[in-house]
Amino acid sequence: MAAHTPLLTTKGIAKSYGPVVALRTVDLSVSAGEIHALLGANGAGKSTLVKILSAVFSGDAGTIHINGEPVVLSGPSDATAKGISTVFQDPALIPDLSVDQNLTISGLSKTDILPWLERMQLGALDTGLLVRDIPLATLRLVDLARALALDPQLLMLDEITAALTPEQADLVFDVAREWKATGRSVLFISHRLSEILDICDKATILRNGRDVAHMDLDGVDEPELVAAMLGEELASAVEQVEEVADKVESTPYGPVALEASDLYFRGRVNGVSFQLRQGEILGITALEGQGQDDLFNLLSGDHRPTSGEVLVAGTAMRALSPYNAIRKGVVLVPGDRHSALLPQRSVRENLSLPLYNRIGRWFRLVGDESERVSRAISRLDIDTRAASEARRLSGGNQQKVTIGRWLASDFDVLLCFDPTRGIDIQTKAQIYELLKELAADGSAILLYTSELREIPLVCDRVLVLYDGRIVHEQEAVTATEEILLTAAHALESA
Amino acid sequence: MTTTAPPTKSPADSAASTTPAIRRWIQRHGWTVGIWLTLFILMFWYSTLIPRFGAFQVANIINGSTAWVFLAAAQAVVVIAGGIDLGVGGMLVLTSATGAQLMDGQPIGVIIIIAIAILAGAAILNGIVGWIITVSKVPDIVVTLGSLYIFQGLALMILPKVGGGSSEAFRWLFTGSGTGISSNPWPAIVVIFVPISIAAWWIGRTRSGLSIYALGSDANAAFLSGVDAKRTKIVSYAIAGALSAVAGFSSLAISGVGNATTFGGNLTLNSVAAIVLGGVALTGGIGSLIAVVPAAVILFFFNPILSALGINPNYAQVIQGILIVVVMMVAGLLEWRRRRLK
Repeated sequence: MAAHTPLLTTKGIAKSYGPVVALRTVDLSVSAGEIHALLGANGAGKSTLVKILSAVFSGDAGTIHINGEPVVLSGPSDATAKGISTVFQDPALIPDLSVDQNLTISGLSKTDILPWLERMQLGALDTGLLVRDIPLATLRLVDLARALALDPQLLMLDEITAALTPEQADLVFDVAREWKATGRSVLFISHRLSEILDICDKATILRNGRDVAHMDLDGVDEPELVAAMLGEELASAVEQVEEVADKVESTPYGPVALEASDLYFRGRVNGVSFQLRQGEILGITALEGQGQDDLFNLLSGDHRPTSGEVLVAGTAMRALSPYNAIRKGVVLVPGDRHSALLPQRSVRENLSLPLYNRIGRWFRLVGDESERVSRAISRLDIDTRAASEARRLSGGNQQKVTIGRWLASDFDVLLCFDPTRGIDIQTKAQIYELLKELAADGSAILLYTSELREIPLVCDRVLVLYDGRIVHEQEAVTATEEILLTAAHALESA
Repeated sequence: MTTTAPPTKSPADSAASTTPAIRRWIQRHGWTVGIWLTLFILMFWYSTLIPRFGAFQVANIINGSTAWVFLAAAQAVVVIAGGIDLGVGGMLVLTSATGAQLMDGQPIGVIIIIAIAILAGAAILNGIVGWIITVSKVPDIVVTLGSLYIFQGLALMILPKVGGGSSEAFRWLFTGSGTGISSNPWPAIVVIFVPISIAAWWIGRTRSGLSIYALGSDANAAFLSGVDAKRTKIVSYAIAGALSAVAGFSSLAISGVGNATTFGGNLTLNSVAAIVLGGVALTGGIGSLIAVVPAAVILFFFNPILSALGINPNYAQVIQGILIVVVMMVAGLLEWRRRRLK
């Protein structure tokens, strides 16, 4: 038997962006025939490490060995040539070109990826479609099929399951297991710990840019992983989340703040009605593509309903644009935080953006407003190390800024679309707590989330959408993952 | 989990079955078809406006617009790659002045060698401009504003006064006549058709050509797909340089003499107007060379039409400007509708 040489090893990888240190020193070792998890809270450096291994940029220090040989990766195509293919969080497909043309750019043809598309149940996908006309979940799988067609020794999957349905995620796991069975390796990044325990053999855990633990995942449970990710002093964050849930005081709700009355929108929202009262947190959940995006666009004034009405505090909202809705106190924290931020402006500027709505404030903020911005920063515990440009913040901190801007101004109804997607557990806890406090102060909150476990922790009541209709409604406290998932598939509970 | 979910139908499946190939073809190539139709309709209309319409008028328009077509194609390649080249007009003047200086009185064999040398020189020179942009990270518009003046200045140094020339055979190639005036549009049509077809095939079908679209559409995704951004940018500028040189040859062939005193900046602005009319997105990643050809001809065509209508030529520019804005508004409206219906 040959000596046991790991497929990939790194030693002392470091990377800084200006003053912000992303990776201090990381040692990683992935053996052949192994599914290896890379774990860490947001900002721990996972994405940076993936980008260095796929040669998107080079590290400031450290070495990479493949099969024991030291290598220098000069660029993504070089990494591919050396057997490392990556599926990034944002699919690396050119939006204005068709899938076929994208394959040409990667030096592939349709026949190369067709078997893999079939594995993803996308054999019927029209590859002449422009990428920008294809839904995100499908694109992820197309991107995966492309990476597989390159037949990599090491396949890196960065948060691939985030937008996928459970069925689609299972297809991905099957492929990962096949890769393992044929002696190749997968480096798997996910926030869903149950997935990781399901399919991964080993884990490397990053914290603050260092590898703090290397674990064999046999017999490890989720709390142990969380404890390793957060470090001992922060392990209680999870308990904090549960404490927050326990703090549910039955504050009586105020009058109806937002009402949807029989909303229809182009066959994607089909008769949604509900009432949201002041002080209430109403959860909404659904599988991918059940009209939730359109519903939030209707409520935030971005789209006008085909029929039906949105009532704010009892009067119909005739919103021509989000501006009108915001003036009426209905504000949105969108799912895509990049669309809500001014990436090149400072955190403070981003936070004070809604305050500039009135012409008298174009040149300066009046009264206590700049103080309110400061309060929002401290209340949200925003990491201001990279405060000069919002795009340099980690994902979790960016999300805090998109919520924080409404704290600095005023609102009555907060619409949050999947605010905790792809965010570490500690930031999640802070966001839950914040939503709770806001509701206790009398705000009405509508929270769409794809994380079913959040619902009993945060919400008072929950609606489940399917095919643009509300198919299930219940108290959130008793909403188990199983009930919600069953309802989300429009099945009767057993 | 104990759920027995039905296999959820992925949205892509339904998209594939509800978008017939024909509808998609029209959606994707509608602008190209429309702009060609517009050109033929304008031709027809023009033929009813003037007392005598024949091969002479057609040849006049096509010969005259050849330079505009190549300059627009040059601009299109750079803009699709996500840049903009203000220097193309300067390159036209520089190559036509250089050609006039070197080709004057030479036999056709020598002229062909000179033309090839100028073509290669223009590609290299503009490739260097692209290289400077990638290395310095100074925006395209700034560097090429500089190259516009540099090329114009070089042209004046090479040919300080109007003069020089080419040969009859060379002039025939672009105009169908040794004197530059003819009733034969076919040489110009071939001169346009062959290089533009090759360029269109390259940019739309090959890996290196599609990299141009990729870079302009999403530079980050292009990089992650293994596109060499620097090389692609340099290649786009080099091709623009070569196409500008062909425009310079056409301009030399028509006038018969070199003239470095006309300012190339106006020609650059024409090329930008033509690609906008041709449906190239100034933000990069979208556009077709096949649509840019009729757009440049239409732009050249404005003046003859307006004068046939008896409109004061001074108004012509105002009308031209209004038409460009209106066309862009119509295009924006169509795109908005397409997104709404989606």
